Amino acid sequence: MSSLEISALCKRYGPAVALDGVSLTAGQGELVSLLGPSGCGKTTALRCIAGFIDPDDGDIRANGVSILATPSSKRDFGVVFQNYALFPHLNVAENVGYGLLFRKGSKAERERRVREVLEQVQLVGLEHRLPRELSGGQQQRVALARALVIQPRLLLLDEPLANLDARLRDDVRWLIRDVQQASRTTAFYVTHDQAEAMAISDKIAVMKNGKVAQFASPREIYQRPAERYVASFTGEANFLVAEVERALGNGLFRVRAGGATLDVRGAGPFAGSAVLLARPESLAIVSDGTGQLEGRVVKSVFLGAVQHCEVVLRDGASVRLGTPPDRPLPADGTVSIRLDVDRAWLMPDAVP
Amino acid sequence: MRRLPRLALGLPAVLLLLVFLILPYAEMITMSFRASQPGTMHGAGFTADHYRNVMSGGLYLEALARSLLLALFITLACLVVSYPIAWHLSRASGRKALLLYACVASPLMIGVLIRNFGWMIIVNVDGPLNRVLLSLGLIDRPLRLLFTQGLVALALVHVFTPFMVLPINNALRNINPAVIEASRSLGASRFATFWKVILPLSFPGIQPGLILVFVLATAAYVTPALLGGQMVTMMPTLVVQTLVGTFDWPLGATLAVVMATAALIAVVVFSLATHRLMERVRA
Repeated sequence: MSSLEISALCKRYGPAVALDGVSLTAGQGELVSLLGPSGCGKTTALRCIAGFIDPDDGDIRANGVSILATPSSKRDFGVVFQNYALFPHLNVAENVGYGLLFRKGSKAERERRVREVLEQVQLVGLEHRLPRELSGGQQQRVALARALVIQPRLLLLDEPLANLDARLRDDVRWLIRDVQQASRTTAFYVTHDQAEAMAISDKIAVMKNGKVAQFASPREIYQRPAERYVASFTGEANFLVAEVERALGNGLFRVRAGGATLDVRGAGPFAGSAVLLARPESLAIVSDGTGQLEGRVVKSVFLGAVQHCEVVLRDGASVRLGTPPDRPLPADGTVSIRLDVDRAWLMPDAVP
Repeated sequence: MRRLPRLALGLPAVLLLLVFLILPYAEMITMSFRASQPGTMHGAGFTADHYRNVMSGGLYLEALARSLLLALFITLACLVVSYPIAWHLSRASGRKALLLYACVASPLMIGVLIRNFGWMIIVNVDGPLNRVLLSLGLIDRPLRLLFTQGLVALALVHVFTPFMVLPINNALRNINPAVIEASRSLGASRFATFWKVILPLSFPGIQPGLILVFVLATAAYVTPALLGGQMVTMMPTLVVQTLVGTFDWPLGATLAVVMATAALIAVVVFSLATHRLMERVRA
C-alpha cells in the first residue's frame, strides 16, 4: 500500500510524443482511472509506472521516493494485463503462486496464501486447470489473483475488462473494486470506457494526446468538465454556442445560448464566447410552454425505457434529449424545452 | 466439376513417402537378412547372421556407441551455441532480421566438400588459425587440429546450427512478451524469468531442434570422413566402407538398419520423456 505521485512524465517514440508532461497523484487506497481513446498515452503511462519502459523525463515517486531506478521486479507492483498474460504452461495455482516464489515464506504458507486469494476471486476448485482450459472471465480472475497474491504496493490494471463480454464485465468490475477496497490497495486502472471509469474510480484522469486534460473525481469530470473534449468523452453531451454577457459572481454567468438568456455556472473567467454544456438529462420537453428554449423535433427514436429526440433550436443548434416513452410529441414538432440551469455547465470554447 | 475425394489430396505425399522412404527401407531390411557372398551383391537364402555378428559386440557396437555419443555432444553444443543466436534473431525485425537470417543459414549455402576443405585450410599447421594464434603469442607451436574428433564436432556444430536456431527462434517469437513482463513484475529476476518462463515456453522449438540435429549428427558421413581421419571409426564410415569397400551389401544394410534403429529409439525415448512438458507448453 502506498501513495503514488507522477510528475511531468514525458515519453517520445521518435517524432511521436506518447506522454507530454503527465502529472497525477493517487492517495493511499485510491483507485485512479486513466481514461482516453487509444493512442492517448494511458497505457504508456501505466507501463512507465510498472517499470516496463523508462520515461524520457519526469519522475514517479512511491511514498515520496523516486522509483525510476528500481527495476520492475523490485517495485512490488501487481500488474493485470489486457490479454491476461497468464503463464500458459502453469496451472491456476502455479500461476497465482508464481510471485510468492520470489518472496519469503514456506511452501505451506505459499499454498495457504494462494488458497486465500483464490477464494477471494471465487476460483476454488480450478487450481489444476491450465489457462487454456479456462473461460475468459476465469482467466481474468486468475490474472487478478496473481497480481493480488503478492500484496502489491500498487495494483496496475490495463484494460482488464476489454476482452470480456458485457455481462461478465460487470461481475469482474465489481470484483476488482471489492478486492481493491478490501485490501486497501492503491490502484491505477487504464480504460477507454467512460462508464467503467465512472463506476469504479475515486479519481479519473482524462487523457488527450499524451496530456492530462482533466484530473478529478468522476462527478466533477462529468458535471464540471474542463473542456469540450472531456465532456464529450465522458458521456452524451450537447454543446451550445454561448455569448457571455457578464459575470454575476459566485461562479454564475449570464449568457445568450440557443436563442435564450440563461444564468449558468462555469469556471470562468470567460471573454466573449464560450461553450454551454447541456447533458441530455438536464433538458426536458415541457408541455406548458414554460421552457427557456424553443425548437422543433426533427427525429425521435423509441428505445423502450426512453424516447430519444433530436431537436433543432431557434438559433439552428441541435440538441439531443430523452423524453418519457409514452409522451406524445406535438404534431407540428414545435416544443418548449426546459434547461435545468443547475446542471448546465459553461466551458471555455478553446483550450490553450 | 466433381470435387476431388479428400484422399486424393494426400496422394502425392503418400506416393513420395512410399517411393523414397518405405520402399528403400523395405529393400534395405530385406537386404540385411540376405546371405553374403563375395563377388556378388548377395548370396542365396536368408539369414540373421549379420545381426548376430553386429550385436555380439566389438568393433561395430563400439563404433555405434561412439557415433551416438558424439552426436549427443554435438547436439548439446549446438543447443548452447544456438539459443543466444535464436534469442537475438527473435528480437530482430526488418532488415536486421533479414541479415541475421542470412548469417544463420550461411553454413548451408556452402557445399559440403567446399566447407570441409575450408576447415582443412583454416586449421592446417601453417594455416591462418595457427598463424594468428602464433603471432598473438597465445601458442608456441602450431596446433594439430586436423584429423581430431574435436574438429569434427566443431565443423558439425557449425553446419547444424541453423537446424537448432530456426525452430527455437520460431518458438521464442510465439511467446507473448507480456508474460515476460508479468514474470518481472511479480518479482522474478531476469535469470528466474528465463528459467521459469522463457525456457519452458521455447521448448516447442528446442525439442524439434534437438531431434533434427541429433539425427543429422548420427548419420553425418562426409565431415567425419574428411576431417576425422582414419584413427577412429564412426558408424556411417563403417557402413560406407562395408558397402563400397568390401562390397558386402547384406552386412552394410544390417549396419545401416542398426544405426537407424538406434537413432529412432533415442528419438522416441526423448519424445516420450518430454511428452508431458510439450503437452503443457504447446501453443
